Amino acid sequence: MKLPDPVQMAVPFFILLIIVEMVAVKRGARGAYDWRDSAASLTMGLGSTLAGLLSAGIVVALAYWFWAHRLFDIPIAWWSGVLCFVIDDFAYYVFHRSAHRVRWFWASHVIHHSSQHYNLSTALRQPWTSFVSLGFLFRLPLFFIGFPPALVFFCAALNLVYQFWIHTEVVKRLPWGLESVLNTPSHHRVHHGTNPRYLDRNYAGVFIVWDRWLGSFEPEHDDEPVRYGIVKNLPTFNPLWTAFHEWIGIAKDVWNAPSWKARWMYVAGPPGWTPDGSRDTADVIRAAWEMEQQAAE
Amino acid sequence: MNWLTLVVLPGAGIALLVVLARGLGFNAQPKLASAAEAGTIAHDALMGFHADAVALAADARAALVAGRDGRIALVRPHGDRWIVRVANGAKVDRAGDTLTVTIAEPMFEPVALQLADAAGWAARMEARP
Repeated sequence: MKLPDPVQMAVPFFILLIIVEMVAVKRGARGAYDWRDSAASLTMGLGSTLAGLLSAGIVVALAYWFWAHRLFDIPIAWWSGVLCFVIDDFAYYVFHRSAHRVRWFWASHVIHHSSQHYNLSTALRQPWTSFVSLGFLFRLPLFFIGFPPALVFFCAALNLVYQFWIHTEVVKRLPWGLESVLNTPSHHRVHHGTNPRYLDRNYAGVFIVWDRWLGSFEPEHDDEPVRYGIVKNLPTFNPLWTAFHEWIGIAKDVWNAPSWKARWMYVAGPPGWTPDGSRDTADVIRAAWEMEQQAAE
Repeated sequence: MNWLTLVVLPGAGIALLVVLARGLGFNAQPKLASAAEAGTIAHDALMGFHADAVALAADARAALVAGRDGRIALVRPHGDRWIVRVANGAKVDRAGDTLTVTIAEPMFEPVALQLADAAGWAARMEARP
């Protein structure tokens, strides 16, 4: 069975919705745009698509290899589609959490967080080096279980399309209890925050239940506006520097590391790790903030 | 899939959105409203940083913020937002009342600040926290 490509179908709507959001913000809706920032985000998105095509053959070949050694024969049907979508979303959660906790994975994912804005164009700010940072590994278990590659790629694309619209400040909260189940604009704003309270929280793709279950959930506090970006915001809109700055940082750190253990930690440790503690990891920043809060009480 | 669908059409879409964003006026050049604002920006950007003294540049487009712990924070614009870096030990050139601060970081452009006490702030930045 041939399934459509939801991303390709959604692209015109992405453009249309960005225009709608820009006009809404101009007319007073909550949110902000900067043409330089949007240009950088959209350029990163185009580059990411092209880079993905270069590595697609290997990823697809790997998918079919794992599927050839599958545990179960799972047909393409409505029930397997639902099951695949849910399991794929959990795989995304695991990938996404790793992408914030392991510097090798972060070196790609940081690009998505490198804007100080949070709008629909930010959703398209995507890495060019996803293949190098091995993000595709996290989906391989689905093929091994027996979900057909076409179905997994279809669900993954749906997941990606869903995540586009939550990159907005225009929508405050969703009604009808949806905030309890779904990843929403509010939950994902928290994820893009550099406030110590918000750092490394809400990794969900579609279902926020994974964060609630695994202790990484933080609600948006109306009295603490989110400061978007990364702990050390980039000083340039240059797409090449945006795409590769963390890889260059890793290379420099590994080259100058005092030991093999330090080299390993610069690659596999959390972002911000140094042997002498001269930089700060998210955990260190949060702990310092919590101490300040306690002292203030 | 061909170059038209891969590059030309998306490129045209990007150009449309960027031109529209600019046309709608999303090209602000921010200015610091007060010394307190510069202090807050530095506090939010640097862990454990608490402003002790602030020197706003004459054009309000940058500031130096001295922290209680001896760190000096350089605040300068990036698009319509702000970037903060610790400036202790940075290269500082003084010409009259103008300081040019060069942070040893790729892509970080030197920042010129016209200050009332340029010499004093230059001396502060030479000190390590």
